[in-house]
Amino acid sequence: MKNRKKFWFIFWMLVPVFSVIGFLSVYPTIKGFILAFQNYTVFTFNRIKFIGWDNFVEILSDPDFLMILWNTVIWIIVSVFFQLLLGLGLALLLRKPFKGRGLYSGLVFYPWALSGFAIGLLWSWLLNGQFGIINDILIKLNVIQEGIQFLSNPDTAMLSVLIVNIWYGIPFFAIMSLAALQSIPDSVYEAADIDGASGWAKLVKITLPYIRPTIISTVLVRSIWIMNFPDVIYGMTRGGPAKSTEILSTYMINIVYYENNYSKASAVGVIVILLLLVYTILYLRFSGQGEMEL
Amino acid sequence: MKRSKRTVLGILRGLGLAFYLALAIFPLLWIFITSIKPPEEVYTFPIKYWPSKITWDSYEYLFGFAKFGRYFLNSIFVSITASVVSTIIALFSGYVLARMRFKGKYFFVVFLFFVQMIPAYLLMIPQYSMFSSFGLINRLSGIILVYIGLGAAFSTIMARGFFVRIPVSLEESALMDGCTRLKALFKVTLPLMLPGVAAIFSFSFVQNWNEIFTAALFLNSDSKMTVPVALYSFISKAGIQWNVLAAGIVVSLIPTIVVFAFAQKYIVAGLTKGSVKE
Repeated sequence: MKNRKKFWFIFWMLVPVFSVIGFLSVYPTIKGFILAFQNYTVFTFNRIKFIGWDNFVEILSDPDFLMILWNTVIWIIVSVFFQLLLGLGLALLLRKPFKGRGLYSGLVFYPWALSGFAIGLLWSWLLNGQFGIINDILIKLNVIQEGIQFLSNPDTAMLSVLIVNIWYGIPFFAIMSLAALQSIPDSVYEAADIDGASGWAKLVKITLPYIRPTIISTVLVRSIWIMNFPDVIYGMTRGGPAKSTEILSTYMINIVYYENNYSKASAVGVIVILLLLVYTILYLRFSGQGEMEL
Repeated sequence: MKRSKRTVLGILRGLGLAFYLALAIFPLLWIFITSIKPPEEVYTFPIKYWPSKITWDSYEYLFGFAKFGRYFLNSIFVSITASVVSTIIALFSGYVLARMRFKGKYFFVVFLFFVQMIPAYLLMIPQYSMFSSFGLINRLSGIILVYIGLGAAFSTIMARGFFVRIPVSLEESALMDGCTRLKALFKVTLPLMLPGVAAIFSFSFVQNWNEIFTAALFLNSDSKMTVPVALYSFISKAGIQWNVLAAGIVVSLIPTIVVFAFAQKYIVAGLTKGSVKE
């Protein structure tokens, strides 16, 4: 009797979330796989039929597809590397208490909460080739003679969106690193002080090894998130010019918005999901399930 | 010798802190300055760093002619409704997954971990095709439903993380006194859970407020747009002035900045203790 009561309690408590997920995540994912093999576009929505692997063939034979994959890899690796480096730097500066630290961290962490798309728009104004303040400053500092068309030149566009994405991601890594730093007991440093260790030695021998596990798992999970974060690029270049900033996610969104070919976009989605799956399995193998705090 | 070294280090640290502060503040400051400039001073080179006369015309245009008030209210309504619902249902499931022992629990948690990784843009096409047959396209209720789904998995993981950290003993003594589980949850545990509730709600709100791709696909009539969709439609329109767009950007950033200012402590706790995401 008691067991049955417990069962129904658990059941009713879980039903809302899992029916929402079933209806809005699981079913759409399955439907996405089906759509990928059909010809669902704005123009064929009442004549949908299966067309086999055609969408995948079309995508894989797209001459730009390799470049898009490559851009995606660059986008992830460069973003994560510098976000981590600069975020960790900020966290190290914040480790020891000082007057106004709470207010200060609010003022440097707030970009975490901002809309990536709006941030992209904002920076596209700062980087404007004609009236942008970045060009103005660079000219005044005599670094350049005339304004650079950062976003309309394929050679500088990727660099520009990367810089903005790095800017956007610093707070996240700073928050995560700071929490890891604060979990190091003071006694460890005190012992090192007694031994007369230098600041550098303490950083390399104590701090970094101590926070390594947190950093590794944060980097691995964050990489997926960055791969699926087209917002900044969309606010700045929408993947252009000449697809120089196109990554898998912007590629898919552009197919939806501009080609209106929902099935082809679903096929890109399937490719993304398969990549995510492989990555996640490797991640779970690599990090051990202990990281998930199950 | 030692002392001077310490002073040098202190100065370096101060410079470092100043660098990060400038980096974080400068972009927002500049977009704000752009928004209070008269139009003719926006497009000048070399740049005018401060307007000769501060004007709020851009904001007047934004809320008057461009009907930004409508979009702002839409966004507020959508984000708050979806966040409240997903927070509540996440508290139920998070509680059970933290407190009860039952078969298949491990499976549920791993499943949630996978689901929370699926980004919105991957789901929007199948959702679009489903929602068209229910007549939920171009309706705020449709986009609210999408956002509830988007937040459900991660909110549950976070709720579970917070529940695990609240001692069971209080609840157990309430159960001994004859309280039902649900009553013990509401009377004893939930009050201790308030930081968790704040974290889950703020996370969800920020995510919903900032979502653009599904909203841009679903909401196509002028009166239904949310703020990001409105910004997106501004840039596609020819002739939009940068001072007006700047005002739009400023207004669109304010709500999440306010939420962050009030909930920073809880958000940081949610980020670092709940789980690893965003």
